[in-house]
Amino acid sequence: MYQSIPTLGVIAGFAAMWASANDGNAVSPEAQAVTAQAASVVKVLEQSQALFGAKAEAISQLMALAAGEQTANPISVLLAEQFVRVLPNAIPLPEFSIDPDGSISLDWIKARNQIFSLSVGANSRLAFAWLNGTDKGHAVARFDGQRVPERVIEGITLITTNGNASRLAA
Amino acid sequence: MPPVWLPEIVADEEDLARFLASRGHFNSTSVKPAAFMPEIEARETSVFRHGPEPRDTLWAIADEHAAQGRTIHGAAIIKARTVKSIRLDVFPDEPPPRHAAIRNWPWTQDDPDLRKAEHKELAISLATDAQLLKR
Repeated sequence: MYQSIPTLGVIAGFAAMWASANDGNAVSPEAQAVTAQAASVVKVLEQSQALFGAKAEAISQLMALAAGEQTANPISVLLAEQFVRVLPNAIPLPEFSIDPDGSISLDWIKARNQIFSLSVGANSRLAFAWLNGTDKGHAVARFDGQRVPERVIEGITLITTNGNASRLAA
Repeated sequence: MPPVWLPEIVADEEDLARFLASRGHFNSTSVKPAAFMPEIEARETSVFRHGPEPRDTLWAIADEHAAQGRTIHGAAIIKARTVKSIRLDVFPDEPPPRHAAIRNWPWTQDDPDLRKAEHKELAISLATDAQLLKR
């Protein structure tokens, strides 16, 4: 049912661009300009590929977990996948588990007492909680499928960078 | 396994084993909060009154009474004191032998998502204190 993200087409296009960018025989100004442009595009693509590759790997892990557990809610799985896709690249990728109600739990575990845990259910609301040393709390935020809520980004960032998360529940 | 008579009240010092039937409920070093989230219908988390040793007995209990056709990948061991310290409680719930249930999960929130977030915070506290035993 679930499949890994196909990347062969992207890789093929990337290879052609890479070849163009590394063409050392270009001598005319126009050809050199094209080569320089191609090189800059390749650089951006390389960065994107590295980031997307990590997300693709995370999504594949999610799908494998969901496929192996009959309790996973298919809608929750799709929403969790979308959440990962729109997660800002600066945010570390989560670990996944499945809650008893079939929701997908996304966990950022920095240390034993530094955890941010978020559940993606079958609706647009995200239940999350955190422990950051002696500070702990819980809240709910709305996920529109396009952007990760600010409070969630802030919470993950605070946990993964040793900050203080007490204002998240406000 | 011979029957074991345990006190009617679960003592603070008692070890509780939460068997892990999902690989997603732990990583290489720690137990994840999802492992302790309550079942929605029963409003409780199932545990067994057994510590990390003897290990053979622990896994025998897992296979005989907890597996129910699933593979048990490990166990999360916590003290009953940890459960009680966050206003949950643990009650004997036999059969099967040694079975107990973590109850008193707050169910007062009308908002199911906020209720879930509240449960998650408590589950994090349990997971944080849990000792992970892999099989």
